[in-house]
Amino acid sequence: MLFGKKNKSSFEGGGLVLFQTVEDAIAGEKILQSENYEVKLVAPPPALRKGCDLAVEINIIEKIGIERLLLQRKVVFMEILPLKGAGDLLDIVKVKNFDNYCMVKAGNMKLTFDRKEGVIVNISGGGCPDIPFLHISMLDKKLTEVTPPKENGHTLCALMLDMAFTEALDIWSKEAN
Amino acid sequence: MLLICGTIPQDNFSIITGKAEFQGDRLLVENTEISCTQGTAALISAACLTAQFLNSSPPQVVLAGDTGKGTGSNLLYNYLINNLPGLNPDVLLMHYILPIMGQMKKVVATAAKCGKKPVLMADASSMYAAKGAGLAPEFDVFTPDICELAFLADPDAIHPAYIQYHLFSADDSQAPDLIEAAYKQKGAAKILIAKGATDYVAEKGKIVAEINEPDIPAMEAIGGTGDTISGLTGAMIDAGFNPRNAAVNALRTNRKAGACCEATPATKIRLIVEAIPKALKSIL
Repeated sequence: MLFGKKNKSSFEGGGLVLFQTVEDAIAGEKILQSENYEVKLVAPPPALRKGCDLAVEINIIEKIGIERLLLQRKVVFMEILPLKGAGDLLDIVKVKNFDNYCMVKAGNMKLTFDRKEGVIVNISGGGCPDIPFLHISMLDKKLTEVTPPKENGHTLCALMLDMAFTEALDIWSKEAN
Repeated sequence: MLLICGTIPQDNFSIITGKAEFQGDRLLVENTEISCTQGTAALISAACLTAQFLNSSPPQVVLAGDTGKGTGSNLLYNYLINNLPGLNPDVLLMHYILPIMGQMKKVVATAAKCGKKPVLMADASSMYAAKGAGLAPEFDVFTPDICELAFLADPDAIHPAYIQYHLFSADDSQAPDLIEAAYKQKGAAKILIAKGATDYVAEKGKIVAEINEPDIPAMEAIGGTGDTISGLTGAMIDAGFNPRNAAVNALRTNRKAGACCEATPATKIRLIVEAIPKALKSIL
């Protein structure tokens, strides 16, 4: 059970940022709020508690954007975790080959590239609002020439797409050599 | 009236609302052209063409720009919370919107205040929000692929990125087991349209249809082929089909559209969309 320390907001984000010190947690909350993330300071449940007794509850879907912002602002944090379910992100990648194309699946995301040219020909799956944006920015471009989704995305779908992209780039690099 | 709500990949956050039309190869919302790409735009395009084919009213849409930070998504949630009873849609189809569980709860509560509760459909991240908020049984139609089906079957996951390994490792042949588990865990809508090598339609816990022809494996790679299924289904329900028949005909039409344009893994969704009228003619 979580106890809001600041107010009785009805916000349910489903994720926690854990910190080593109370000062870091307060700094993290402030920076995230300044960038319009909805967050709240909470006491983490005993099963997830590491470091100090204060954590920041976040919308876990926004993990990638929040992680990037905290790193950019040099706020030290320990871990970002979902409040329920599997604590670890899926890291299984599946590969399916078509005649001239290779499709890499990571979680709910699939990235398909042309095996001869190394060009991304399709991105499918997912559902968070950064996916159509990433789709447009990566489609018909070479794997070696696009910005990794982790750098432009904000959500867990983008993180899954980044995993598929990384594997696709690895496959392409090996095949090209 | 079919009301479609979702984000488009633009940094302009303001709400765009009105009647959607697909003219020639252009998607227009009250004279504003929206690029027909993967996502809500593909869904709307499919719904427009289906409505045109069935001589029913074009869909009404509520859109906002969002590239992932959630500002446009919050505008959409608030728009629905403030306007849904006045709009009183027959079908509400929610799509690419940042999952915010508290906001989704308010939307569903507001939908219950409509003169007649709309048929509630959720695809993509709206399905994640509905399931994560424990609202799945309140919805009439969900449209998961195999990974999303595993997510619905996982009692604790609030996003497919965090499903349990044994569920993710399930292949298409285990879709019936995942469907059963999703209903058991109360992670399913009344109707599930499960997309895969074989498509399944399940209603209240039981599989009522299986579709596997024409078999076009490349469709899995094409971004937007799930969006078109949702658009087809929503438009058919709005035209008077019962949800089960709409689901079956949407799945058949989508596969046929893929066959009509001889889809490969590199085919773009626009080509599938443009083949929908020909496919509808063949299926209905």
